[in-house]
Amino acid sequence: MISDISIGQYYTGNSFLHKMDARMKFVLIFALLVFVFLCKSFFSLALMAAFTVFAVLISRIPLKMILKSIKPLVIIILFTALLNIFYTTGGRTYFEWHSIKLTEKGVNTAIFMAVRILVLVVISSLLTYTTTPTMLTDAIERLLSPLSVFHIKVHTLAMMMTLALRFIPTLIEETQRIMNAQKARGAELETGGLIARSKALVPVFVPLMVSSFRRAYELAFAMTCRCYTGGEGRTRMKQMKLKPRDYTAAAFAAALLAGVLVLNHFFKAVI
Amino acid sequence: MTPAVEVKNLTHYYLKGTENQVAAVNNINLCVEKGETLGIIGHTGSGKSTLIAHFNGLLKPDKGEVIVDGVNIFENKQTLRQSRFKVGLCFQYPEYQLFEETVYKDIAFGPSNMKLPREEIERRVLTAAEMAGVKKENLEKSPFDLSGGEKRRAAIAGVMSMEPQVLVLDEPAAGLDPAGRRDLINMIKNYRTATGCTVIIVSHSMEDIASVADRVCVLNKAEIAMLGTPKEVYSRDEELRAMGLNVPEITKIFLMLKNRGFNVPEDVFTVDEAVAAFREFAKGGVKK
Repeated sequence: MISDISIGQYYTGNSFLHKMDARMKFVLIFALLVFVFLCKSFFSLALMAAFTVFAVLISRIPLKMILKSIKPLVIIILFTALLNIFYTTGGRTYFEWHSIKLTEKGVNTAIFMAVRILVLVVISSLLTYTTTPTMLTDAIERLLSPLSVFHIKVHTLAMMMTLALRFIPTLIEETQRIMNAQKARGAELETGGLIARSKALVPVFVPLMVSSFRRAYELAFAMTCRCYTGGEGRTRMKQMKLKPRDYTAAAFAAALLAGVLVLNHFFKAVI
Repeated sequence: MTPAVEVKNLTHYYLKGTENQVAAVNNINLCVEKGETLGIIGHTGSGKSTLIAHFNGLLKPDKGEVIVDGVNIFENKQTLRQSRFKVGLCFQYPEYQLFEETVYKDIAFGPSNMKLPREEIERRVLTAAEMAGVKKENLEKSPFDLSGGEKRRAAIAGVMSMEPQVLVLDEPAAGLDPAGRRDLINMIKNYRTATGCTVIIVSHSMEDIASVADRVCVLNKAEIAMLGTPKEVYSRDEELRAMGLNVPEITKIFLMLKNRGFNVPEDVFTVDEAVAAFREFAKGGVKK
């Protein structure tokens, strides 16, 4: 159903991760994703996995929500694992049948890859679970602000993103309403072949377009009336400020990087 | 005679299966007779719109059934589809559903979906346009070039052109100026006299409902709180106010006069009726 689409999966909470500065969180999570790729041995990957579990625990996000973000990727993970099992060869051979060969290296790589994808997904989903879309766009705006040197209007871009996010639920609701109105006039939106179906969408999309433009104009008027002139000289009600907890988190991440590098150095690489 | 629409034990939940589950309509039993005009009134969120979306199967009830013209509409695909044409549902702010290049084509959208012959479609479009008060010269214009009131009429014509047995209008006069409101209510009255169809009007304006409806159904907190003639319902002034509704100002004055012992009628809903009632009173009315 159309109303099931959820954009921004913020989970209300008050944990360490929720309270962190969005910019720092953004940067650190990006860094963690890079660390995951730096892992070469099982031990360094295990360190990252352990840290991920730790982060999930302190975020106090229910396990159910985390599993929900993994669910759509299960097939991809299984698929990559299967490919790796049979296409990477080396080491001891466990099993051989015609051209199919199951080797030590294949199994190891498959497990390694599967865990790596899992860790990547969970870490990145933590960002969206603990940060509201508005906080996220704010953070992106601030992080990209150096680009204004190149005359890129970062504030305008961020405002556009914020507005787009804000209007997604509204537009979904509107779509539903228009679909109902046309169905009430006998439009068949859910039957027929591809061509019939795409044709049937015209009565939905035209009014949706018209009302989106109407909304955009209304919003522009409303913003102008409140003296909105863009980014220059604009201050914020909620100032972003790095707090001790953000530096703690950064230090933690640095320690993690050191750990990964050390473990890489002392243990055998899998890939 | 089979009723036009019959609703039995209808219950519909929102957010079903979650902890926030609420009944939008709860165990509703309602019988709409053929040819009558029923007004449905209720406070915002009382379940009015949810209720009417069941009449043509846009929403599927969680419990209970909907019977249109003697047929359970959820029996199979055919009956469901037929119900769309038997019950013409016109949503709030219907002007936002207009999409065709011309007003004519837009009004013809419903009948074309019914796969009617060309001549029949043309006849229906012209009849509906006239009935809804769409000017002839506007038929070839783009619907987006019309004024707000004209768009509203064109959209209502788009539902009327299916010639449904039951016409359901959700807040047809919302957002119109007083003159537009009056015209629209008159248009609905004329439609009813001309076609003899069943009309269901949803509104929270007691004035509008009082002047057209034969019966009034008051919804409160997902349930039917009152059902009766406007006179019966509006005399329960106190209860209505407790539900966040209000009887028309002029009716309130007459109720007050009645309470003070003046022999005046209680079913006065418009200023015109009030003037007539006062004349009558001045002629022969005696203080009790």
